[in-house]
Amino acid sequence: MKSKYAVFILVLSLISILALLIGCSSTPVTTGKELKLGAIMPVTGPAAEKGKPGIDALLDVTEYINKELKGAGGYQIKLDWKDSQYNAANVNTIVTDFTNSGVLMFTAMSSFEMTNAMGIANKAGLPGLAIFTSPNLYNPPAHIYGQMPDYGDDWVAFSNYYMQNIWKKSGKPKMALALLNNTTGSSVKDVANARAAAMGIEIVDIVDHSATTIAETDALTRIKAKNPDVIFISSTPQPTSVILKNAKDLGLTPSTVTIGLAHASFTKSLIDLAGKDVVEGVYGVYPTVTWDDTAPGIVKAKEYLMKNHSGDVDNMDYLSVWCTGLVSAEILKNAVNAVGYDVLAKGDANAWKAVEQSGFQKLNYNVAGIQGAVSYTAGDNRLAKSVKMYSIKSGKITSIGDWVTAR
Amino acid sequence: MSSLPCGTRNYSYAEDMAIVRTKTQWALIAAFLVLLFAGPLFLGNFWLNKINLIGITLIAATGLNILVGYCGQLSIGQVGFIAVGAYSSAILTGKLGLPFPVSFICSGLMAGIIGLVFAIPSVRVKGFYLAITSIAAQFIIVWIIQKWTGLTGGTNGLTVPDASIGSLVFNSQKSFFYLIIGVAVICVFLAKNLARTRVGRAFIAIRDNDLAAEVMGVNLFYYKMLAFFIGCFMAGIAGSLLAHWSVSISPDNFSFSESILYVGMIIIGGLGTTLGPILGVVLIRLLQVGVTQSTPWLQSALPGMPNGFATGITPILFGLIMVLFLIFEPRGLAHRWNLFKFSYRLWPFSY
Repeated sequence: MKSKYAVFILVLSLISILALLIGCSSTPVTTGKELKLGAIMPVTGPAAEKGKPGIDALLDVTEYINKELKGAGGYQIKLDWKDSQYNAANVNTIVTDFTNSGVLMFTAMSSFEMTNAMGIANKAGLPGLAIFTSPNLYNPPAHIYGQMPDYGDDWVAFSNYYMQNIWKKSGKPKMALALLNNTTGSSVKDVANARAAAMGIEIVDIVDHSATTIAETDALTRIKAKNPDVIFISSTPQPTSVILKNAKDLGLTPSTVTIGLAHASFTKSLIDLAGKDVVEGVYGVYPTVTWDDTAPGIVKAKEYLMKNHSGDVDNMDYLSVWCTGLVSAEILKNAVNAVGYDVLAKGDANAWKAVEQSGFQKLNYNVAGIQGAVSYTAGDNRLAKSVKMYSIKSGKITSIGDWVTAR
Repeated sequence: MSSLPCGTRNYSYAEDMAIVRTKTQWALIAAFLVLLFAGPLFLGNFWLNKINLIGITLIAATGLNILVGYCGQLSIGQVGFIAVGAYSSAILTGKLGLPFPVSFICSGLMAGIIGLVFAIPSVRVKGFYLAITSIAAQFIIVWIIQKWTGLTGGTNGLTVPDASIGSLVFNSQKSFFYLIIGVAVICVFLAKNLARTRVGRAFIAIRDNDLAAEVMGVNLFYYKMLAFFIGCFMAGIAGSLLAHWSVSISPDNFSFSESILYVGMIIIGGLGTTLGPILGVVLIRLLQVGVTQSTPWLQSALPGMPNGFATGITPILFGLIMVLFLIFEPRGLAHRWNLFKFSYRLWPFSY
């Protein structure tokens, strides 16, 4: 009898929780004239260390744009963000939701999320802005644009820097690649395989890993056996921290072999996860300036960071997504000024076309100096093409060069 | 054990075997089907999208239920076979230009054949050890998909062309609704009838005591292979629908955690019943919707909580539900529904 009541209460509780969760999920009520911006963020799941500062930045920059810049073209930006949990099925559902909810454009934090969103987005004609990109997103170019250079560009920039400034011996340096087993890694593999020989680099090993890996000693032992001169890692912070720690245990440290990182993992989260001593001397490529830079836009970013999300201090992902907000506002401003609010208010295919043609493709914006200037070139959906080289010194990401144009 | 409404008697074998026995039951089923297929008239694209995902999941879960629930062969690699079906359909339609109906059936056959390969260990091992081989199937299949870049696109994935039958093109949530729900209804109907046939009884005999079944003359090898083939065939056709519905597929769509979720769905719904997969799939998928939608609200509504506290909601919630069901209602929601029906029919009498 008691178990009957227990089960009854359990089922009733489940139904109540379900109803509450679904009831709380209703599409936000729009008040006044707004421009709706969709965002897919991995706030929970295996990439949460990137998604959490990302959404913090997006919320802060939206507040800044709406309050101090009076919105985009005079209209407030309404942010409609969803947590993808870094799960492909969720991304599919979210982007389908965006095509029906009046969103004018959307942004996705990772190349993985945008890879899973682009099929539906391209089919519907909904333009998207990928924050962290990979070449597959715009080869061939459709309705997805890259805010920053992709991981293949990172490899080229790092390799060029390595050959010009670090490699002093004769012959070809031996490079090993440790890559995440999705587009974050495959984009590096494709570019490296295509261009390493021409750049005078010998790729001796390519190993891949999952986003949830907890040990890479076996793969690194294999790499160590090939005596590499340089290791390039393209992954997210958590698995990169595992790789660096395991590498240190095997004696593969920045003092014995040059280690370079693509921008997906080159952030403060990595330093926190791996520890200062593990990452000391590691090189990295990043498409924005650091928090210590004197770029004009850093002041406002710092102000809102300290006011709302001080836990994200020195986080580079926060800066990247702050730029996303600025670029998105510029796109929407261009579109509103070109076609008027009434066209965009419908949030339909015509509105998306207007945002793309009058917004994305008319972009020419310096992003307040925080990242490389964004502009559109026909046939190339990468909006920014510049990156900077950094090194980690005493637990801080330190600039070691000026902007370089990625391939 | 099924009960009949008061005053209803069976006077023939056909009446005794009928799934739908009374006029009331016929009327309810007809009304349900009419309401279901009229869904696109009053549901928006958001809910049609969710129902389509539920339909695809239901097809695969029904196949898994036949394998696990009826035949007792534990498999935690169902999503691997869904991946086989998805990629088969994408390649057959996209690269070879075959029509969708052909690729749909071939996807099921391909997944079924691959399933037979991984079913061979079931002849010698069972329980936990069989589960390990099914997990191996999941990882091996996904690994091959990732590495065979020339055929599958590797981690970049594949774009899948629109599904079409003749001049009918399925390129909207509404059109997919009719296709997916139609296939799901047929699969559930076939699964229900399979359980009542000689094959179904053989499956149940193997599940309950395979040694006794073998002594009785049930060919264990044949029926275990058949169970795997049917379960994986259904996973394959679910994968085919998933590929065309998603428009693009990549190995990330087929994670191991999804395989575990499928097993959880059929346990929560009720193993070895037809209604079980339906209830389990609907509950879990709606729960996922609720969690995804509510995360932004929770983050903003509870500023005093530590940053990222919402991270734990999904795994805690799903794990808790599965554990509670295993403890308090191991026979699943279907059993609880049957008890409700019994008590409803007997009410207000307690006997």
